[in-house]
Amino acid sequence: MTELKRVAIVGSARIPFARGGTAYADETNLSLLATTLGGLADKYGLKGEKVDEVIAGAVINHSRDFNIAREALLDAGFSPRTPGTTLQIACGTSLQAALVLAGKIASGQIDSGVAAGSDTVSDSPIVFGSKFQHRLLAANAAKTGGQKFKAFTKGFSFGELTPVAPSVNEPRTGMSMGQHCELMAREWGISRRAQDELAAASHQNAAKAYDEGFHDDLLVQCAGLVRDNNVRADSNLDKLSTLKPSFDKTSGHGTLTAGNSTPLTDGASSVLLASEEWAKARGLPILAYLTVGRVAGNDFAHGDGLLMAPTIAVSEMLDRAGLGFADIDYFELHEAFAAQVLCTLKAWKDPTYCKDVLGRDSVLGEIDPAKINVKGSSLAYGHPFAATGARILGVTAKLLSEQANKRALISVCTAGGMGVAALVESAA
Amino acid sequence: MIAPQATETKHWSFHTDIENIGWLTINSPGGSVNVLSREAIMELETLVARFEDLANSKELVGVVLLSGKESGFIAGADVAEFDAMSDFSVLPEALRRTHALFARIENLKIPFVAGIHGFCLGGGLELALACHYRIAVNDDKTRVGFPEVNLGIFPGFGGTGRSIRQAGPVDAMQIMLTGKMLKAGAARGLNLVDKLVRHRDMLRWEGRKAVLQNRKSQPAGFAKRAMAGPLLRDYVANKMREEVGKKANRVNYPAPYALIELFEKHGNDWQAMVRGEVDAFVPLMGSPTATNLRRVFFMSEGLKKQGLKGAKFSRVHVIGAGVMGGDIAAWCAYRGMSVTLQDLDMARIQPALDRAKKLFQKRYKKKREVDAAMLRLTADPQGNGVPRADVIIEAVVENLEVKQSIFSGVEGKLKPGAILATNTSSIELERIAEALKEPGRLIGLHFFNPVAQLPLVEVIKSKFNSDEAIGKGASFALAIGKSPVVVKSAPGFLVNRVLMPYMLGAVERVERGESKELLDAAAVAFGMPMGPIELMDTVGLDVGKSVATELGHAVPSDSKFARLIAEGKLGRKTNEGFYKWENGKAVKGSTPPHADLVALGRELVKPLVDMTEVVLSEGVVANADLADVGVIMGTGFAPFLGGPLRARADGRA
Repeated sequence: MTELKRVAIVGSARIPFARGGTAYADETNLSLLATTLGGLADKYGLKGEKVDEVIAGAVINHSRDFNIAREALLDAGFSPRTPGTTLQIACGTSLQAALVLAGKIASGQIDSGVAAGSDTVSDSPIVFGSKFQHRLLAANAAKTGGQKFKAFTKGFSFGELTPVAPSVNEPRTGMSMGQHCELMAREWGISRRAQDELAAASHQNAAKAYDEGFHDDLLVQCAGLVRDNNVRADSNLDKLSTLKPSFDKTSGHGTLTAGNSTPLTDGASSVLLASEEWAKARGLPILAYLTVGRVAGNDFAHGDGLLMAPTIAVSEMLDRAGLGFADIDYFELHEAFAAQVLCTLKAWKDPTYCKDVLGRDSVLGEIDPAKINVKGSSLAYGHPFAATGARILGVTAKLLSEQANKRALISVCTAGGMGVAALVESAA
Repeated sequence: MIAPQATETKHWSFHTDIENIGWLTINSPGGSVNVLSREAIMELETLVARFEDLANSKELVGVVLLSGKESGFIAGADVAEFDAMSDFSVLPEALRRTHALFARIENLKIPFVAGIHGFCLGGGLELALACHYRIAVNDDKTRVGFPEVNLGIFPGFGGTGRSIRQAGPVDAMQIMLTGKMLKAGAARGLNLVDKLVRHRDMLRWEGRKAVLQNRKSQPAGFAKRAMAGPLLRDYVANKMREEVGKKANRVNYPAPYALIELFEKHGNDWQAMVRGEVDAFVPLMGSPTATNLRRVFFMSEGLKKQGLKGAKFSRVHVIGAGVMGGDIAAWCAYRGMSVTLQDLDMARIQPALDRAKKLFQKRYKKKREVDAAMLRLTADPQGNGVPRADVIIEAVVENLEVKQSIFSGVEGKLKPGAILATNTSSIELERIAEALKEPGRLIGLHFFNPVAQLPLVEVIKSKFNSDEAIGKGASFALAIGKSPVVVKSAPGFLVNRVLMPYMLGAVERVERGESKELLDAAAVAFGMPMGPIELMDTVGLDVGKSVATELGHAVPSDSKFARLIAEGKLGRKTNEGFYKWENGKAVKGSTPPHADLVALGRELVKPLVDMTEVVLSEGVVANADLADVGVIMGTGFAPFLGGPLRARADGRA
């Protein structure tokens, strides 16, 4: 086998994220992704150019956009010779896309690739229930008018016409992410105050990043929006502490609120990866290197915390890389819920958990909060499911491009009891 | 691959494919937009004759017309040919020939489909309307309309009748009378377009389907057509005249009135309307109004060419949140820029944000658009936006020391290549620039109040400025949808300099006891958008006085003008000046009768025209065209006269 190539992160582009039903209410998943990819193409001179592969996805997707990656790259103006693959692993989608591309670049199969993700709750496909769906299919297959009539009327009840909105509830448990996370918070003893503190820090860090101009060259205007509309510079503990629990409203134990959970968000983001040769030949920068990745799952249906799998992904990844927390300078931990991050942090320093679940003799250890999400994360920016991984990867690469010899760890939890992790290293 | 039929002419290419569908592409040579020049039309005649033959021999099942240009379908007839075409010996014949060609397209036995993206205007829309079916891309770039009225004419290639056939008389006349450009959805709503697709790629495939299914567009329904029926037509026509009358009078702008008359005669029969079109059209084309409006059109198109290629702006920082600074910031945000607005504290910035919100609410239909625009405009008392801005505009009080200290404060923090500009209206640019390490960096960007309404920005060049710095300033003005006119740094620049003697002259006449209502009415009759006294009230008497003083005009302290200022009656903003103001409107008394209002108006405007000549002779503007277009855009000076210098050359001012 030939020697592996280094995988360069050339840069990223995303549209500002918007709370559901606001700025992108007239947009579609496809238009959001196409605008993002178009912005990336503009930024790196790729209009009309062939990129070896685009891998992208969306969690809530219309069946008409069955391969949204291909449609979006065509709309965005890449050369039609660029193939597009749609891939989906819930909130880990675009980070997993980057890891798949990175593997192909490292092994020399391709020289360039775009990882992207898009999601909108403002353009959700709403369908008929399965009874009426089958009725329509039967009617469509029927040959005579009589058969069609029969297919439509036999055993019909009006209840069948009730539209079904897409559900992001966990299929195996029927519970929402928030309800699962409430259970995790109780299991790990995560206080409301700790969650609110994390949320406030996320907003403040994000607002500061805006004021510094950190995002200026990462964002592409979409539908008139130039900045994320969820970031609140004035977020603070006093305000956050007044909010009522969102998921557990009755038991009195509820600690997850609209303030310390991510809102439903519309948005899309993308990252350009390449071999060093490809980037250099085009005169493009190398912000950082994507070095390792790992995806893991847990047994959430039988008692593991639904959003705890990143602990496993990170542990296994570090194990393989021969690294520990002491070797990491920045931690980019996706904040689906403040409680999710806090449970994860607690688990990594819990000897029993580290032994029983991670199979480690000693704990992974404590992480200095000053190293976590220094530019804010999903609690502030919002969380358009499939777009989050690429947003974090883009931010991380830019963060490392400003400093030499740094290493950052990314972890993203996903529905279905899984987690995606990656390591990024400074180019200089 | 087999290409049984393939032709390439100067303007068109045509080939048939394996299914015998003909693909006709227009690609005007030497430009980024397609225009229907006479040559293009003659070439199309030959092609259409071929289509007729091929259709008869069943070698062609249909034709899909597409554009080969990124910018759009067809922007219209070739305006550059209009002067030559205006000749009575040429025009009727040329029009009839195009009419005959479009009729032949319409009469083809095979489907003829237009696939539209980007601009589909004027003659381009008329050609599209002669096709059997129209497909358009449903994106932000598609624009469908008849801008002819802005050139002093109306559609002349059968578009009057065909648009009425498709959209019904009321909507069709509305778009022809206003020149309004429709987006794809609205064009579909008016039945000017039959089908929308998401992306340009899809035009050809939807076109193919339309040909194979022999799709035909349906004319407007009965209810719409009824408005042109015998009972309603007179009423509808009078209503239209009333609307038009609010904006343009018949003597100066004959085209809309002529179109309404054509409608009155033939509005119920689109074919008769098409037939009557030529005779009604011909006298307009060579009229002084049309000739002058064409000239203004070319001059303003010329302004657009001043920008530097590849100049991009996304962040603007405005210092000073007063009326001008705040409104400049709001306008930039409205035009899609990320704007930071700086002043000493939030109390000074808040009123500007409130005014911005009002502007956005007026211009946008949807709350989310207003919200997005408000997010583009950020209050920035700390000046955090300075190092990130592509353009910095200062609009604080007219005080040299204050301005100098602001600029020396920000100079060291600027992004490389950022524009540094002042909105000063009276301080010489060189004096402010002297305080800078790089005085060549400071340019003037002089906006006019109200910023959202006046299209002109004077780009002020000091003796330190390079052409590139000025070109960048012009590019920025274009990027925010304004028209830049480059002016040398001299007191009053162009617009204020020419306006002052005109306004003060009128004020003096009022001081002498003449009726302000009469003077204002006379100026409007001459063709100004607003009379000089009302204008003084709008600008603000204090502002007027300070500009006047700056330009060396005396304002005697015992004058009514000075008295009003002393009493704090500053005009519209204080609800009283020369006029009392209610709800943003001047309360006017009755206008005394006058035998020749236009002549009186001409007398009033004379100082403005005189001063334009002086300004030109001093080299403040580079040439007479720029002076004319600058004064038209900065003061609203009668466009049908082609600007002050043209009007004087024609003996009309």
